[in-house]
Amino acid sequence: MTLTMFTLNAFYGLALAMNMFIIASGLNLIFGVLRVINFAHGMFYMFGAYIVFTVTKSWGAPFFVGVLAAAASLAVIALVIERLMLKHLYGKEHLMQLLFTFALVLLMSDAAKMIWGTDQYSVGYPQGLGGAVNLGFVVLPQYQLFLCVVGPLIALAMWLVVDRTRWGRIVRAATQDREMLAALGVNVPMVYAAVFTIGSALAGVGGALAAPRVALVPGMDATIINECFIIVIIGGLGNLWGSFLGALAFGFVVQFGTVWAPNWQDVLPYLLMLVVLIIRPWGLLGRPEST
Amino acid sequence: MKYSVMLAALGVLGAGTALAQQPPIKIGVLYPLTGGGAVYGVPAMTGHQLAVEELNAKGGMMGRKIESVERDDKLNPATASSTMKELITKDKVDIVLGGLASSVGLAMSEVSKQEKVVYISTIPKSIQITTDKLHKYVFRTAANTDQEGDTMAMLVGKNKLTKLCHLELDYAYGNDLEAGILKALPKYAPDAKVVLTLKPKLGATDFNPFIPQVMSAGCDGVISGLWGPHFVSWVKQAAPLGFFSKIKWISGGEIGSHEIAGELKGDYPDNVISNTYELWYTSNDPSHKEFQARLAKKLNTQETPQWAVLGYIGVMYAAAAIEKAQSTDPDKVSAALEGLSIGTPVGKLTIDAKSHQANIGQFWGPMVKKPDRAYRMMEPAEYIQPK
Amino acid sequence: MPERRYLIASAVVVLLLALLPLGGSRYAIDVATEVLIYVLFALSLNVLLGFTGNVSFGHAAYFAIGGYACAILLTTYGWPLLFALPAAVVLAGTVAAVVGYFCVRLTQIYFAMLTLAFAMLVWGVAFKWKEVTGGDDGFTGIKLPAMLGHYTSYFWFTLAVVAAAIAALWVICHSAFGLTLIAVRENSVRTGFIGVDTRRMRWAAFTVAGTFAGLAGALFGMYHRGMYIENAYWTESAQVLIMVLLGGIHSFVGPIIGAAVLYLLQIFTNQYTTYWPTVLGLILLVIVLVLPDGLIGLMARLRAYRQAWRRP
Repeated sequence: MTLTMFTLNAFYGLALAMNMFIIASGLNLIFGVLRVINFAHGMFYMFGAYIVFTVTKSWGAPFFVGVLAAAASLAVIALVIERLMLKHLYGKEHLMQLLFTFALVLLMSDAAKMIWGTDQYSVGYPQGLGGAVNLGFVVLPQYQLFLCVVGPLIALAMWLVVDRTRWGRIVRAATQDREMLAALGVNVPMVYAAVFTIGSALAGVGGALAAPRVALVPGMDATIINECFIIVIIGGLGNLWGSFLGALAFGFVVQFGTVWAPNWQDVLPYLLMLVVLIIRPWGLLGRPEST
Repeated sequence: MKYSVMLAALGVLGAGTALAQQPPIKIGVLYPLTGGGAVYGVPAMTGHQLAVEELNAKGGMMGRKIESVERDDKLNPATASSTMKELITKDKVDIVLGGLASSVGLAMSEVSKQEKVVYISTIPKSIQITTDKLHKYVFRTAANTDQEGDTMAMLVGKNKLTKLCHLELDYAYGNDLEAGILKALPKYAPDAKVVLTLKPKLGATDFNPFIPQVMSAGCDGVISGLWGPHFVSWVKQAAPLGFFSKIKWISGGEIGSHEIAGELKGDYPDNVISNTYELWYTSNDPSHKEFQARLAKKLNTQETPQWAVLGYIGVMYAAAAIEKAQSTDPDKVSAALEGLSIGTPVGKLTIDAKSHQANIGQFWGPMVKKPDRAYRMMEPAEYIQPK
Repeated sequence: MPERRYLIASAVVVLLLALLPLGGSRYAIDVATEVLIYVLFALSLNVLLGFTGNVSFGHAAYFAIGGYACAILLTTYGWPLLFALPAAVVLAGTVAAVVGYFCVRLTQIYFAMLTLAFAMLVWGVAFKWKEVTGGDDGFTGIKLPAMLGHYTSYFWFTLAVVAAAIAALWVICHSAFGLTLIAVRENSVRTGFIGVDTRRMRWAAFTVAGTFAGLAGALFGMYHRGMYIENAYWTESAQVLIMVLLGGIHSFVGPIIGAAVLYLLQIFTNQYTTYWPTVLGLILLVIVLVLPDGLIGLMARLRAYRQAWRRP
C-alpha cells in the first residue's frame, strides 16, 4: 500500500468513524443515564433523514434548516414517547424496556411507510459542500471533511456539558444513584426526559447529516442500529470517550479490513466486537458492572 | 357425473348465471411489500393488479373470473415458502407468481416442485432457477444473469474499454452476474482485462472502503451490478471526487430506469450506460402506449415505474397458458407454457420449451441530460433481446 | 398430585394432536407442524432466559446450525436420517458449548451482545461458505426418507420428536439442575455462597438450550426442504425471544403458548394486511405496559380474580 493510498484509507476510515459516532453518541448517552437500550435509535436516525428530505425537497428550505427541523421533530417525538410510555418502565426489568423500544421500531417503520411511501429518495449536498478539496497528493470530498469536524465537535460539546456544568453533574449523579439524587431534591424524572429527548435529537441529527451521502429507503435503519450497538459496546456502554474510541476502532477496522479481506465486510464489525468482549468484557473504557 | 350434468344444465340456463356460479380461477402472488424490498415489490404488485383488472373487465379466463390472492414475502425465503404453501393448500390457488430476491425465487421453486403447482418467476434473475434447479413446474419471465452479463460484455466491447474495474454486490445476484459477464467477455472484448474486482455487501450504505481503491486502479471502465439504493449511495459518495468524469460506468441492475433517474435528478452522473425493463417515454411495441396510459392512471403519475411491467407480464403469461390449456391442471398449464408466445407491452415474448426462460429483453443505453427535463433520460434506448 | 394431573393433560393434548390428520385439512396439518417446531425452538430458549435470566440475542444460530447440518448430511452426504439428525443436534450442542464457554463469563447486556456477535459469525459462515451451504441462495432440495415424504407422516414424526423433546426439557427443568438454575436467576451471589458454581450452571443451560434449538432447526429444514441464511439472522433470534416473552418466561408452558399464539396470529394477520409490524408492535406494547408476565401471567391473574369472586 502506497503512502497516498494509506492516507486516503485513513481519511476515509476517519470519516466513516465520525459519521457513525454522530449517530451512536445519542444511543450512548441514553444508555449511560437511563440504562435503557434503545433499539428505536436507528428508526430515529431514519426519520431524521426522511425529515430532511421533506423539508429540503418539498418545502425547498436550505439543508441546515432541514437538519434543525429533524432534530426538533425527533426531540418532540421522543418527549411524547418518554412522557406517555417509557417513564413507566424505568423501574422494570431491562427486558421490558428493550421490548418496548423494539415495539417502537415496528410501529415507526409502518408509520414511515404511511407517511413517505416505499419509494427511494435522495437529498442533495448542502451548498458549497458537494465538491472536493485537492491537497496536492490526495483529493478529499468536502462533505466528509465537514463530518470529520462535526463529529469531534459533538463529542467535545457533550463532554463540556456533562463534565463541566451543573446540569451535567446532575446527569452524572443520575447514572450513579437515582434514589439519592431524588432525595436531594432533584427532579429526576425531568432529567430522564431531557436526556432521552437530547439523545433522540442526536439520532435525528445523525440521520439528517447522513442523508446527502446515502439513498433513503425503507429498512435503512436496520444495519445502522447494529453498527451503533457495536460501537457503543466496544467502547464501554455509557462512556462518551469510549464510544468515540469505539467509533474510531470501527471505522479503521472496517476500512482497512475491507481492503485486506474484501469478502468479509459484513462480519468484520461483529468480529471486532467479539474480540473486544473476550479480551475486555466491559468494553475498551467501560467499568465492570457491580452486581 | 351427476354434478357435471347439473353444471352443464346450469350452463344452458344462461351464460351470465354460469359465470357467477363457476368458481374463480385463483392466482397466488408474492412480492415484498414491507421493508427494504418494498421499493420494487409494491410497483410490481401494482402491475399485477392492473393485469388482473383488465382480464376481469374482458370477462375473465374461460368464462371464469380471476381472483388474485396477494401476500407479502418480506424478502425472506422461509416466509415465502410457508406463505406459498398456504396459498396452495388453504386458498387453493391454481398458479403462483412473483418473488424478487433470488433466494425467494429458489425457495418458491422448491415449493412448486414439491406441490406440483406452476410457479412463474417474474423478477428473480438467479440463473439456477432455469438451469441446475430447473423442473417441470417452474418458468421465468424475467431476464436472467447470463443474458444481462452477455449484453454488458457486448457494451464493453462496443465502447472499446480495456482496463476494467468490476463492482458487484456480494450475494447471489452479484455473483451470478459476475459469472455471466466473465463468460461473455472473451467473445466481445478479447482485449479487455479486469484489473480489480470488489464486492460490497448487500445493503451497504457506506462505500468509503471501496472508492479510493477504484479511484487509484486507473481503469477506463467500471462494470457494475450495484442496483437501486446501492448505486445512489455510490454516486453520492464518489461523484464529488470527479469519479464519473474519468470512466464509463456500464451497469446492470436496472439503474437506467426512470425511478433512479427521477430520484437522482441533477445528481445523476455522466458516462452511465445501463438497462431497464421498460421506459414510460419510449417503446418497442404499439401496445405499450395503452398499457402505460392505464398504469399512469392507476398510479396517478405520468412517470411510471418500470417494475410494474414485470408483474403485468407474469399475469398475462399465466392467463395465456390457462386459456391455451383450457384447464387449470398444473401439468397441462406447464405443457402450455412451454414454447408459448404472447404479445406484451415490451413486444412479443416466447418461453423456451427446454429452459423455461422467456426471451424478454431490456432497453440499454446512455443516460443523457435533457434541456426541458429535471431528470436524465435514456437516449438512444436500444431494445436488446436475447436470441 | 398436580404432577400427575399435568401428565395426563399433556398426554391428552398429544393424543388429540395425533388425531388431527383424521379430521384436519392439509393446511391445518402444515400449520400444526410449523407451530410444533416453533414451540420447541421457544422452549429451548427459555431454558436460558427463564431459568437463568440470561437474554440471548443469538439463539437462531443454533437453530440454523442444526438445520443446515441435518440438511447437508442428508442431502450432500446421503446419510440416513437416523444418523444425520442426532449428528446435527450434537453439532449444534457442541457449538453452543464452545460459544457458551465465552459468553457465560459476561452478564446482562454484554452477554446478550456477545451471543449476537457469535450468531452473526454463524450467519457469515452460512453466507460465505457457498460450496457447502449454498450461500444466500439457500440450501434447497433437501432429501427426506420416503416414509417422511408425505405431509401427514412428517407431521406425526414432528409431533413425536417435539413431544419427546418437551418431555426431556421438562425433566431437565424440574430436576435438581433446573431448580439450581432458578436459584442462580433469583440470586446468583447467594447461590454462589452455598457452593454452586454459577458460571458452570449457566454454561450447562446455554448448551442445553443450543442443543434443543438445533433439533428444532433440523425439523424446520426438513419441513421446508430448505435452509436459508435468514434463519440465522438476528431478526430470527428476536422473533423467538418475543415468542417466549409473549407467553411468559416464568413458567414452563409459557413459551409453548407464546410460540403458538404469535405464529398463528402472524399467519392470520398476513392474510388480511401487510401491516403486521403494527400489529406486533401493539402486542408488544400491551406486554410491556399491561402484561409483564405474558399470557401465562394473565391467565393466573384471571384465575385469582375468579376465585376471589367465588369466595365473597
